[in-house]
Amino acid sequence: MAYIRKRNRRIFLIFLLPAMLVLFLTTIYPMIYAGYLSFRSYDLAKLFVPRVFVGWSNYAEVIGSSEFIHSLITTFKLMAMTLSVQLVLGVGIALIVTQKLPGMPLARTLLMIPMMISPVIVGLVWLFLYFPELGYLNYFLSFLGIESIPWITSTNWALWAIAIADIWQWTPFVMMGTAAALQSLSPEPYEAAMIDGNSRWDVFTRVTLPQLKPVLVSLMFLRAIDAFKIYDIIFVLTKGGPGDSTEVLSMFIYRQSFTFWRMGVGAAASFVSLVIIVVLITLFFKSLQREQHA
Amino acid sequence: MKHLKTTALCGSLLAAISGSAFAQGQFDGVELKMLAIGDTSVTRLAPIVDEFEALTGASVQIDMFPYPGLIDKIVIEASSNDPSYQLMWVDSPWVGVLGESGALLDLTDLVLRDAEEIHLDDIIPIQLQENTWQGRLLAFPASGMIWHQNYRKDLYENAEEAAAFEAQYGYPLAPAQTWDHYIDIAEFFTRSAGETLAGEVLEKDFYGNAQAYSRVAGAITHDFFPIMRSYGGQYWDPATGLCAMDGPEAVAAAEVMKRLIPSNPPDYLGLMWDIRTGYMERGEVAQSSYWSVRTVRLTNPDEAVLPTIGEAGYAASPTGDGNPQPTMTGALSFGINSKASEIEQQAAWEFIKWGTSRDMMRRFAEEGSGVSQFHVSILSDPELQARYPYYQVLLDAQENAQRRIFHPFYADVEEVFGVELNKYMAGETDSAQEALTSACTKINTRLAVFPEDLRLRWINDEPAAIFQ
Repeated sequence: MAYIRKRNRRIFLIFLLPAMLVLFLTTIYPMIYAGYLSFRSYDLAKLFVPRVFVGWSNYAEVIGSSEFIHSLITTFKLMAMTLSVQLVLGVGIALIVTQKLPGMPLARTLLMIPMMISPVIVGLVWLFLYFPELGYLNYFLSFLGIESIPWITSTNWALWAIAIADIWQWTPFVMMGTAAALQSLSPEPYEAAMIDGNSRWDVFTRVTLPQLKPVLVSLMFLRAIDAFKIYDIIFVLTKGGPGDSTEVLSMFIYRQSFTFWRMGVGAAASFVSLVIIVVLITLFFKSLQREQHA
Repeated sequence: MKHLKTTALCGSLLAAISGSAFAQGQFDGVELKMLAIGDTSVTRLAPIVDEFEALTGASVQIDMFPYPGLIDKIVIEASSNDPSYQLMWVDSPWVGVLGESGALLDLTDLVLRDAEEIHLDDIIPIQLQENTWQGRLLAFPASGMIWHQNYRKDLYENAEEAAAFEAQYGYPLAPAQTWDHYIDIAEFFTRSAGETLAGEVLEKDFYGNAQAYSRVAGAITHDFFPIMRSYGGQYWDPATGLCAMDGPEAVAAAEVMKRLIPSNPPDYLGLMWDIRTGYMERGEVAQSSYWSVRTVRLTNPDEAVLPTIGEAGYAASPTGDGNPQPTMTGALSFGINSKASEIEQQAAWEFIKWGTSRDMMRRFAEEGSGVSQFHVSILSDPELQARYPYYQVLLDAQENAQRRIFHPFYADVEEVFGVELNKYMAGETDSAQEALTSACTKINTRLAVFPEDLRLRWINDEPAAIFQ
């Protein structure tokens, strides 16, 4: 018996080995190496710069940098803009597409297309729409007698332009999750509420929303993590500009690593970013646990 | 491989005997790859590289990329011990970082050896100096550049417009000699749709000027630095080797750019080099100052609208007080990867000689495409001057010229100043002084860790050994 258990364990390990190897090579080793880099002065472009151990100074530089703080604030600002709209729109659309009406299954499928497109392509599509002189959006606005909007070339508009593209792409995700949750809700509470003579709004706010809350919290949390890491769309549309109006955390890390080639500082900024995400995740699970206990 | 090396060695010997001229099939089987930009310095040459293969046996593949991000690819390539690219396109400000890292082969001896064949005496000296690092020639010019002003000559010569301008500003309308004049002209020609320009009612807005204000790839700095230099500003403090680009000349230059904003297209904060030149090429602005690398397009109706609706004029860059200042030059060049094999380096040098030769440059000019030329004999050719009126401007300006920034930290300077200047232009920073001081502080923080003697060596423009 013990021999079989031992043999089985060996077989398990053999089966696990490829996955563990891939995980080690693509995630664990790069992370360890990034950790190593974050304590060193490492300039990839300037081979003449000494590559030496610098202790915590890369971390101190990142945390003490006004650009880092600005990028963090911009990241949270963008998160707030996108998540709030995605939540309202996603739930609204889910309520419509879960109605037993003709064409709704097709509508659900079509609405999911944006989230299946690569963010770089989404960025390029919106670049064509926003382009100052030749963009379709301004072309259509001109028919309405509205003056051209400098979507991606104005510090007032650029962050909104990014948010709109992100909302377009990821509202379907919220819609899909909410629709799935709506379809799995038990009909009894609704029937009871209708018999009690509640209005549709009351039913939505007092019956539907409370039941959806755990799902919505999960969806928002997943979206928050994604929004925190947003990079592709910004890289294509504005590269962090104009000024530093769309310089989010990932752009800050990118610039340190691949514009200034200061891999040590870039790695340190990545770890600071990781810590922030871990704190967010911890807070989320704690809030979920509180929900469950309640 | 052994066969290749033997063939190449024989070829090299043959070439040496025949005074380094091409030996037919000298590099049979050698494959060269070039990491390059998709601009005139390369696009004219790329379609005809088969001719080089027919001559020497070496095949050349040119991979063209946009300017933003190209230096990143070159840096990665330079840090590889097993390079994929033997030839590299080099913008002259990159010479510092590539030179200090030992990424490029020193061409000094090759140039001296083949001086007669490459007509070394006919090349404008500053174009060679642009490619030197600590006296070593690390790349060879494929397109020479100066920063100059382009303007709508047809509008300037319009009697009605000229009279209106003089009445409004009190002096005649002519290519600007000072930045104040330049701003006046920009302001004068900025018109809305429905207004009249040279007797015709405008269907769309017309702008007085187009400059690059985008922060992407530091585009704004490519206009800011020439303006700063035209005020006599310096990049570095000669006593410390630290950033000096926040002095009064730099502030004046940033303020000039700010004052020009109302005369620029509304998307000015996103104007990259090519978008900015596009406005001039379509004839939608009265004037625009930029690097001569794209000036040739203004003469070619296949590449620009302007020659079909008006005429472009060319003049030297304005200066702060109207008195001459050294013109900013630049060079777009070809270099050889120092880690390429010996045979590849030999073939690469033959390719550079072929692709940048005086005959090739003349051929481009005669075919109507052309690059920004750098041979005195071509620029002073009366027939070519008649066809390309800006040749004389190029020639004159380079008599008293200064090279561009060439510091190993150029990429940092371009990015940091790009962002800070863009913030100032966007109104995020209150004053030019604040923006420039912030940029200089960031650069100095990075430079301060290096000893002063090293910093001073980095800013020392040692004359190329080929001139000694």
